[in-house]
Amino acid sequence: MNIDYLSLLVVLPILASIFLLILTSRLNGFARAKFDAPVRMAALIISLAMFMLTTLMFLGQIGDVGWSNIAFNTFEFQESYVWIEQLGITWTVGVDGLSFPMVWLTTLLMPITIIATWNEKSGATYFPLMLMLGGALIGVFVALDMFMFYVFWELTLIPMFFMILKWGGKDRKYAAQKFFIYTFTASVVMLLGLLTMYFLMDTQTFNMQEMVVQASGANANGVWLGLEVQKVLFIMLMLGFLVKLPAAPFHTWLPDAHVQAPTGGSMMLAGVMLKMGAYGMFRLPISLFPHALEEFRFIVMMIGLVSLVWGAIVCLGQTNLKKMVAYSSVSHMGVILLGIASMQPLGWAAALFMMFAHGIISPMLFAVCGAFKHHYHSMEIGAMRGMAKHSPWLATSMMFGWMASLGLPLLAGFVAELMLMVAYWHAYGWWIIFPGLVLAITAAYYLWSMQRTIFEGGEATQPPESLHGDPVPDIDNSEKIAMLLLAAFTVLFGIMPWIFLDMMDMWTRSAMAFLGLGGA
Amino acid sequence: MAGTETISSTFIEYAIFIVLLPMLAFPIILFLGHIFNGNQKWVKSAKEGGLIALPIMVASFVLSMLLIAEFIGTGTGSHHIGDWLSFGWMSADGMTINEKVFGVGIYIDHVTVMLLFVASFLCMLINIFSIGYMNTDPINDNRNHRFYAEFVLFCSGMLGMVLADSFLWLFIFWELMGLCSYLLIGFYYEKPSAAYAAKKAFLTTRVGDVFLVIGLVMLWNLFDSLDYAVVFNEDLIAQVDPGQLQLALGMMFIGAVGKSAQFPLHVWLPDAMEGPTPVSALIHAATMVNAGLYLVARMFPFFGAPGMHGELVDLAFIIAAIGGITAVMAAAIAFVQDDLKKVLAYSTMSQLAYIFTGLGAALWLANSLDWHTDDKAHAIVVVAFGAALFHLFNHAMAKGMLFMASGSVIHEMHHAHHDMHHHDDHGDDHHDDHDDDHFDAQSMENMGGLASKMPITATAMLVGSASIMGLPLIGGFWSKEGIIANAWRVALEDPRFFLPAACVLIGAAMTGFYMSRMWLKTFAGKPKTEVAANVHENTPWIPIPLVTLTFVSLSSVILAGMMFTHWAGEPNGGYAFFGEKGLLKGLIYEFEHVFANSDAFFFVLTYVAIFIGAIVGPGLAMALYGGSLKDGEKAKPWMQPIINLSSRVNAKRGFDNSAWANSGLSNALKERLYFDKWYDAAMLKLVAGFANVSAAFDRKVVDGTIKTIESTSQKLSTQVRRLTTGSARDYIMMAALGVLVIYLLLGVMV
Repeated sequence: MNIDYLSLLVVLPILASIFLLILTSRLNGFARAKFDAPVRMAALIISLAMFMLTTLMFLGQIGDVGWSNIAFNTFEFQESYVWIEQLGITWTVGVDGLSFPMVWLTTLLMPITIIATWNEKSGATYFPLMLMLGGALIGVFVALDMFMFYVFWELTLIPMFFMILKWGGKDRKYAAQKFFIYTFTASVVMLLGLLTMYFLMDTQTFNMQEMVVQASGANANGVWLGLEVQKVLFIMLMLGFLVKLPAAPFHTWLPDAHVQAPTGGSMMLAGVMLKMGAYGMFRLPISLFPHALEEFRFIVMMIGLVSLVWGAIVCLGQTNLKKMVAYSSVSHMGVILLGIASMQPLGWAAALFMMFAHGIISPMLFAVCGAFKHHYHSMEIGAMRGMAKHSPWLATSMMFGWMASLGLPLLAGFVAELMLMVAYWHAYGWWIIFPGLVLAITAAYYLWSMQRTIFEGGEATQPPESLHGDPVPDIDNSEKIAMLLLAAFTVLFGIMPWIFLDMMDMWTRSAMAFLGLGGA
Repeated sequence: MAGTETISSTFIEYAIFIVLLPMLAFPIILFLGHIFNGNQKWVKSAKEGGLIALPIMVASFVLSMLLIAEFIGTGTGSHHIGDWLSFGWMSADGMTINEKVFGVGIYIDHVTVMLLFVASFLCMLINIFSIGYMNTDPINDNRNHRFYAEFVLFCSGMLGMVLADSFLWLFIFWELMGLCSYLLIGFYYEKPSAAYAAKKAFLTTRVGDVFLVIGLVMLWNLFDSLDYAVVFNEDLIAQVDPGQLQLALGMMFIGAVGKSAQFPLHVWLPDAMEGPTPVSALIHAATMVNAGLYLVARMFPFFGAPGMHGELVDLAFIIAAIGGITAVMAAAIAFVQDDLKKVLAYSTMSQLAYIFTGLGAALWLANSLDWHTDDKAHAIVVVAFGAALFHLFNHAMAKGMLFMASGSVIHEMHHAHHDMHHHDDHGDDHHDDHDDDHFDAQSMENMGGLASKMPITATAMLVGSASIMGLPLIGGFWSKEGIIANAWRVALEDPRFFLPAACVLIGAAMTGFYMSRMWLKTFAGKPKTEVAANVHENTPWIPIPLVTLTFVSLSSVILAGMMFTHWAGEPNGGYAFFGEKGLLKGLIYEFEHVFANSDAFFFVLTYVAIFIGAIVGPGLAMALYGGSLKDGEKAKPWMQPIINLSSRVNAKRGFDNSAWANSGLSNALKERLYFDKWYDAAMLKLVAGFANVSAAFDRKVVDGTIKTIESTSQKLSTQVRRLTTGSARDYIMMAALGVLVIYLLLGVMV
């Protein structure tokens, strides 16, 4: 029997989500509250099943794929159905070394996020939205049809928008609006680029695989569509992805969205949604317009460098814990651009591994922030001191997450940073001073915040006023499980990075060879 | 390296367990401690994890010894465990993509053997000490498992760093140690000073680490590898641009400066004394500070390669100069410290600086002399390098002992204080008894006259101090003479070296002064407080490492006779107890070499160094701080003459100390020459200020521009204004409408 597993991964959670939403929307508030627990359980089971499925796919139990041998522009689990015949739009799915780690990561984060936010209020609506978000994200990663890609790209906005709007902080309306308008505007620019490209193609197609073949055929004997056109299209597509990433100076939506978003929303936003931007860059502009990339590589590098350095410096000036973590995401996403601009297979692999590693580490950071807010009713650094004494679990999780994020060896983030440094020095020489500086600044802001939260005080410290004299609680069991899982995976991929790095490495090597890139 | 033999070994395949055992013990102790915390059995039988850590450290030590037995003085060996990262690397012409690998494995040579012994032996002894020290102090109750867990992870980091077969894994374990030192210095997390010290240690070393990383990627770029097997290949070294290599090694050296607390990244080390005393011993003697020295010692093959002849002397000078400056600076600051552990901290800094100077001189010699063919030059280079490593050994043993002895003093002072003040009023132990009435158990101002009350500790401290000072025939004497002699040997050739050479010579006198001052203030004279008069030495476990290390330090003369400097300086240097090159011959050779050097210059130099280090320095200290014990009390026979002498010298002194004590220089030294203040001010005012301005800029200007564009467009178009209602339904409608429009558009076009 031939089952289309990838489409299942996309359709199942979305359909389940719609079903659950419709089911509970007919009930009034009181009756709906009774549904919170069963809906939550259903969401957990579905997401766990999805995680099992992708894991079995990876282990070869399903499909028997040699993951570390997938060359550029070949796809596994490929299926195609006619969607809109008149326009040549199809529902085409497939995974390769670029997208599979992201798919697996999404299915990993869904159950963990659900567990971490187990007690979220209005669960009957919240958990279905989480499922829909997961399904839409997987849709973005497996889509091989440009139209389908764009549909899922926009679809991810909807559940996230509602999550911020309904479960967010006190400025949630502003944040949700900003998040939506900002990223929607950017994706409209991207869409215009996609459409222009479509109409300029010799043989018009929405299939990305065919587009790459067509582009590379033309690029081999010149420049596909002409260099000027390539440049313009490259800029239009990159703009959409850079805002999503986000890169400076388009990053200001992120802190607002994160600070207002509920914990689960932040975890998915930082963990997977930001990576859509990086994924899109590799999938479209880089794969289609290698000549334009070579033209713009220095500008891409500078944007990455500014994001990296600026994000880190602004982190140092934050007093809000979640805002600091949000800016650290901006800083880390800069690394991806530096990796791309290094024009080395190693640098690209570093970018891919950074997407993956940050996808595991940053949810932990936001889970810690969420727990902090949840238990101390404040987000200010310094509101609660001496956590090591009364909340040892939260303190330990925080220290672990912070250390992982600042690039401690044997944890996932270090692998990406090490690879990047090697590739970056090779490509840009003494510019490496700036990433080096950021290594020190990153340590500074994380250690500074730990000194004011984990350490000091002890018995002498009074609980924050926001607790109104209640005893100081440590994190609850569901949060503990989520953090332990994230920590375990951070260690696993720090010690054994080759699990996913091998397929990323193969992808980057064959991509560079295929696209004819490289050389100083 | 010339004449290196690669030997096959059986134990090298199991060497990974030396690292893995403590690493795996880390989560186990943490987990068990979490479950059984407070359980009586856990406290009594397992010593809250101490007795789980101990067998692990003993096993690591035994495995290390088996490995050392195979490799000592015989050659090098390596064992490739596997590939860690493999990746594509575009060739310079952009035509081909090659496969490159970061591997992982074990590498053993003479430097490894020496460091491995030091690390595994001291880690084991410190573990024994900790069981005595940590588990008998109520402030540590119910959190000792955290100490032991972090302790074993730390040991794992050090052992891994020593055994690693590439600079990459050296760095990985190096960082692991950095984390553990952060956790251990901040062990008493509720004290703001401990939190501050932990942060300071991590950040200061991190600054060095950034340069180390840059150095490593530069090195990778030169060799396409970081494995010792590749980068130490003389043929490959010959093809490398010397200027690039010197720059890369220089960057790596900055990392070593941070880790080994040398000027100007030395500020973290004295503050690191906030950690429990076993941690001080661990960080300052056995492990972390030696990491930087190990890194520099590892660079030897680059300097010694024929292809680099004479190209790297500038870096060798910089290494020696940083060492020389730090040696004098730290010794000067140690003059005015009243805190027992802080004296030792500055002493550590100063002695590490000696080793850096020694290494710098050895590297200079290896780089300039034609030592591959000339036997005499070969002996000079090997002995110069060996002397620096020998000092590392002697210092680690002596300083480990001194810190543990100081811990013993502090511990007993605490107990005496506790017994006196809490005996009657309440029976239960309070955790806050460390803070009440502000009694400082670490201040030497509160001690005095302890020689008769703590004989084991006082003896250990005496031998340790003598070893650090370089009193003839004891411990560090053998190696320190070598370092001073070789610094001067280079200075005769390269005048720049007069700076470090003069520094280490003056430093010898300064060491004699501050170490004697410390011992006399603590153990001689009358007790300065009631507490000091009531101290007893009765904590179990603590004497074991003290006695062991006392004998190790005293037996340094045997190691010298076994030609330690030769086999520490060369992979197949050979050693022997009996026979042709036996102990007696070796001793005669060493004595001749040191005390009756045929070269007039070195003959005089040796006696000058002995004179100022063993007579001038201690004599001044006796004049200022000497004194007899309380009437009727007597120290052990080997200490009583010293105390009597100090008392006689003190009685005859003819100068007044108060003018010096109030001088500007003295105050500057008490303020640690203002380095800490300047660094703090720079961090607070410049960095933090700039960050705050940046954060505001990001909010007001970067975000503000976007907001302005948005609001302007809203004003321009009422249409847009109506659409941004903030209602979710409208946005969904917009999205759906957008998709529909595209759909229709496409339909029309196609």
